[in-house]
Amino acid sequence: MESLRDIRQNIKAVRSTQQIMQTMKMISSARIRKAQQAMENARPFAKKMLEMAADLKQEVLAMAEPEGTESWASRFFLNKTGDPNKIGLVVITGDKGLAGSFNAVILRAVVAFLKENQDKQVSIFCVGKKGRDFISRFRHKNIRIVYHSVGIFPKVAYAHAELLGDAVMKEFFDNNLGSVSLIYNDFKSMGSQRLAQYELLPLQLAAGAEKEKDETDFEFEPGVKEIFRLLVPRLVKAHMYRVLLESQAANLAATMNAMDAASKNAGELVGALEVKLNKVRQAGITNEILDIVNGAEALNG
Amino acid sequence: MSKTLTLSIITPQKPLLEETPVESVSLPALEGEMGVLPGHVPMIVQLGFGSLRYLKDGKTEEFAVLGGFAEVLRTGVNVFAEGADLAEEINEEEEKQKIKRAKESLSSKDADIDFELAELEIKQAIARMKVKKHHLG
Repeated sequence: MESLRDIRQNIKAVRSTQQIMQTMKMISSARIRKAQQAMENARPFAKKMLEMAADLKQEVLAMAEPEGTESWASRFFLNKTGDPNKIGLVVITGDKGLAGSFNAVILRAVVAFLKENQDKQVSIFCVGKKGRDFISRFRHKNIRIVYHSVGIFPKVAYAHAELLGDAVMKEFFDNNLGSVSLIYNDFKSMGSQRLAQYELLPLQLAAGAEKEKDETDFEFEPGVKEIFRLLVPRLVKAHMYRVLLESQAANLAATMNAMDAASKNAGELVGALEVKLNKVRQAGITNEILDIVNGAEALNG
Repeated sequence: MSKTLTLSIITPQKPLLEETPVESVSLPALEGEMGVLPGHVPMIVQLGFGSLRYLKDGKTEEFAVLGGFAEVLRTGVNVFAEGADLAEEINEEEEKQKIKRAKESLSSKDADIDFELAELEIKQAIARMKVKKHHLG
């Protein structure tokens, strides 16, 4: 049987862990407000940009191109000349664990994705320490980490999105990728995150939002090519920024929930240990009384 | 045709103005200032550093815009700016400080300095100050 001292020590340890978890929960909930705000502020930019891109898609399609070649802008929208056996994957995880299944869900999806595309060359872009550490353990000639950045959460800035976007676009062209996919967690609500997985490039534009010809017949200043050179990278970066912010908010929410659950569990554990402590103590007292009574009996007899 | 345009000014960080009805807009296009009235030909313009003005209820408001581009439609203007500040909110002292700091980091011998970033910061601060001066004068 455990001694009283052991149990007391155990209770103390659990309590101090609980304290840490509670603090972590508080930190996350303080940060999440800001993260959510940033996310909501970034949404209009990304949304309007996509709307405009949908308008411009017509212009790109209208540009005449010789057989077998493709203009710079068209690569983003149609990507006819990309090599379908070379693909890119952007993985966004957290830097730390302690967030329930936040990272595990993503990594499982990554494994499934890589299995599905076994025979293709995959260029991976990692954001977050967990993802990088996990993926760098794969030793396979077809899997290559091209870009990674760690430690940007929970202070994501537009500059991070620019770096990531530049890296993705560079690889897209230099290595003639057929497509680039994204895997990350979407912020659905405080209580839940949702795994998001879709193709980023070529750009997926909502169909059916086409306006009347009159509205979309744009003039360009300076030229249409210059505008595209300016616009498309920004579109990609704006999207990256939104995704990073979503992921950041989702991560904080997940940490908050996980820590909340953990500190509740710790509370229950302390309760159980206290019951045990009382039982052991009472048993000790009973034994002592028995000893005294027995001793007195012996003297009397 | 309606007599107003809806103007949106959006930066990656946050929207500054969302679908506000205005009477006219003047954009700092790369090749010179460009005025937009309702019913303008649809256009996409690259923006330089400069001031964006718009007329609302007979009053002119001014923003400092730091690059980006604008989508002009018949019914409105969407400005996608890299950065934008309301002229009234620009603090000249702060901008001077920024320039000073950027210049210091440029002249230091540290290898890790991002020269482009420092130069960009100076350019942006100067543009903001210009707009501010213009706004006051």
